[in-house]
Amino acid sequence: MKLELGNFYVKDIVFGDETSYSNGVLTVNKEEALDVVKEDEHITEADLFIVKPGHNVRLVPVKEAIEPRTRVEGGPVFPGVTGDLMQSGNGRTLALKDCSVLVVGKHWGGFQDGLIDMSGEGAKYTYYSQLKNIVLVADTDEEFEKREQQKKNRALRWAGMRLAEYIGSCVKDLEPEKVETFELEPVTKRSKEENDLPSVVLVLQPQSQMEELGYNDLIYGWDTNRMLPTFMHPNEVLDGAIISGSFMPCSSKWATYDFQNFPVIRKLYEEHGKTLNFLGIIMSNLNVALEQKERAALFVAQMAKSLGADSAIVAEEGYGNPDADFIACIAALEDAGVKTIGLTNECTGRDGKSQPLVTLDPKADAIVSCGDVSQLIELPPMETVLGELESLGRDGLSGGWEGDEILGPSVREDGSIIMENNSMFCGDQVVGWSPKTMKEF
Amino acid sequence: MKKAILYINQFFGQIGGEEKADIAPEIREGLVGPAMELQKRLGEDVEVTHTVICGDNYMGSNTDGAIETILGYLEDKDFDIFFAGPAFRAGRYGSACGHIGKAVKEKFDVPVISSMNEENPGVEMFHEHIYIFKGGASAAAMRKDIKKMANFGKKILNGEVLLSAEEEGYYGRGIRRQVWLEPPVTAADRVIDMLLKKVRGEKFQTELPIPEQDMVPIAEPIKDLSKANIAIVTSGGIVPVDNPDRIQSASATRWGKYNISGLDRLESGVYKTIHAGFDPAAANADPNVIVPLDVMRAYEKEGKIGKVHDYFYSTVGTGTTQGEAARMGKEIVEHLKETNVDGVILVST
Repeated sequence: MKLELGNFYVKDIVFGDETSYSNGVLTVNKEEALDVVKEDEHITEADLFIVKPGHNVRLVPVKEAIEPRTRVEGGPVFPGVTGDLMQSGNGRTLALKDCSVLVVGKHWGGFQDGLIDMSGEGAKYTYYSQLKNIVLVADTDEEFEKREQQKKNRALRWAGMRLAEYIGSCVKDLEPEKVETFELEPVTKRSKEENDLPSVVLVLQPQSQMEELGYNDLIYGWDTNRMLPTFMHPNEVLDGAIISGSFMPCSSKWATYDFQNFPVIRKLYEEHGKTLNFLGIIMSNLNVALEQKERAALFVAQMAKSLGADSAIVAEEGYGNPDADFIACIAALEDAGVKTIGLTNECTGRDGKSQPLVTLDPKADAIVSCGDVSQLIELPPMETVLGELESLGRDGLSGGWEGDEILGPSVREDGSIIMENNSMFCGDQVVGWSPKTMKEF
Repeated sequence: MKKAILYINQFFGQIGGEEKADIAPEIREGLVGPAMELQKRLGEDVEVTHTVICGDNYMGSNTDGAIETILGYLEDKDFDIFFAGPAFRAGRYGSACGHIGKAVKEKFDVPVISSMNEENPGVEMFHEHIYIFKGGASAAAMRKDIKKMANFGKKILNGEVLLSAEEEGYYGRGIRRQVWLEPPVTAADRVIDMLLKKVRGEKFQTELPIPEQDMVPIAEPIKDLSKANIAIVTSGGIVPVDNPDRIQSASATRWGKYNISGLDRLESGVYKTIHAGFDPAAANADPNVIVPLDVMRAYEKEGKIGKVHDYFYSTVGTGTTQGEAARMGKEIVEHLKETNVDGVILVST
């Protein structure tokens, strides 16, 4: 399987007559773009904004981030989601780098939505403050979930993907500035040099806990709650086979953009053939019932063993209950003789003294920790808010609250806020960007 | 000018050795013994205004009284930081520094800094409550230890960024927080680095050390429930409404036992929960949802169990350290054994 990612490095984004890309400047025809958004009759209101690093802008509730892309040979960027099924991970896909489409609720947020500050102290808490963003702020007629804490955000998320495909399509006939090639020989057909290196599988546990369909990450359009662990090629993940869900507390969430750019996958590719032999990805899941967790761990350990993996990296998209899947999976791999590293964040509570993961096991002796969902963050008012600031406290965002007897409300009258890191948009960057770790004080 | 107060024992307070270990607490204006070195190290911006001295044995045998007296001395003093020790490997002294340090921290909410050798039992008892720097085994390390305490104290008073326990040199307080690595290293780079080290059998450092597990085996089943004396123990904070044992609503160190021998159920308004970790509405409306006396009485009448033990035992689980929980558990078990309890229903919340 050979994937070529053709990159265009966006240095500026402007609105203009024709959606186009030239010399680092991405021009977006706002009207045309909004027509694409409104193809879904459930979108009742929509507007677009351009937001860049350093702007005095706060975005909340942020629901999704997507990298604008297009396929040279045609077909949907997200097979089985925005179009027919097709194999992803092969051929040439073009990407507008250093920018993302951000989807923000005009009014209503939920448990899984987050906050982004594009400047000031708050900017360091999320990756997306470094990107130039095309921000869709929209509302829908999805009355059934308007006041629900858990929202599927279906109309908004799909509008974001359509928009990313629409914008991405403007480079379809252009020659990319740089082409990155991602290619792995089939597992049994590798060179002696590759086979002599320590082999590694990457085990991903995307968010899949919701029994009801519509909230979980999708793989080729299939709800991850309805799957058992399976073997995937890393190119599939990098090339739109998986999209983010709408369930997990936001700092633990992996946006679709995160999947498209997965730093750990890229790093494994970099090291492949040099220091290690990257076998591929075991796509696992996260479950609610103990038996489901154990079953998934059995599948993962067996697959790793059968593939001949010397080592594994296990990464979880979540915290709390999913820690049980995470630890069970690590323990099962270690029991199978696979040397395993865990990649996660922690929840140590307001005082920092709580057990960092819900379950622990001495077999999990090598963990990279990316942040603390429970860290309190206090931020001054921001000049401009896109979306609705009130949503942070009102709508049950995982890191916000209406009132707290000690801390007061999350959203104060002057526009300043106090929140848990929990609601920083994809803030813990467990996919590999995280510059944070955890230390004892 | 910031102000500091130092606690030391009778020996370093130049009152005397073992024969004077029973002396009651006193407070003196100005510098006594190690306070002089502390003042020197703190420099001109911080003044050590008082030295508190107490006999180690006095503190050991009259802990509550000694603490109360000293807190009384401090009541009208204006101070920004509190030091205790250094206590080196002296066990009673270390424990005294910990007791008074913890009490001062709780009452006045000022930073408290001590220093002890790793073998000092005071470390295990108090490292979660105050800053205890890693100190020498004997008074030969006095200057070195005081320097560490003073430097860190100055850092706090100057509002400087405080690094992790390991980097600063004190025993970790069990508080884990996120930090930005400087220079930045992404998680992807760290995970590959750790992976290669682990695969190659090289030394690596996990970022999340797993605490030692203290597993308790599951007990043998009770052979004949119909003759068994069953007690209810809870960390759900159910107490008589006036909370006679003053059990804390979080981070509890106290527990209580309450006689229920004449009761069929716990009435709302007579019992309530003082637990601060959950919404108390349901438990206050019907305390039996946490201490299920009503259903236990029903079982008792049916003959399913022999009897309900005459007391229930209660504390609060939220924020309570494993150490305190284990101690309280052991104390409660003593009572249960004395009264021939056969089984316990342990209700968490």
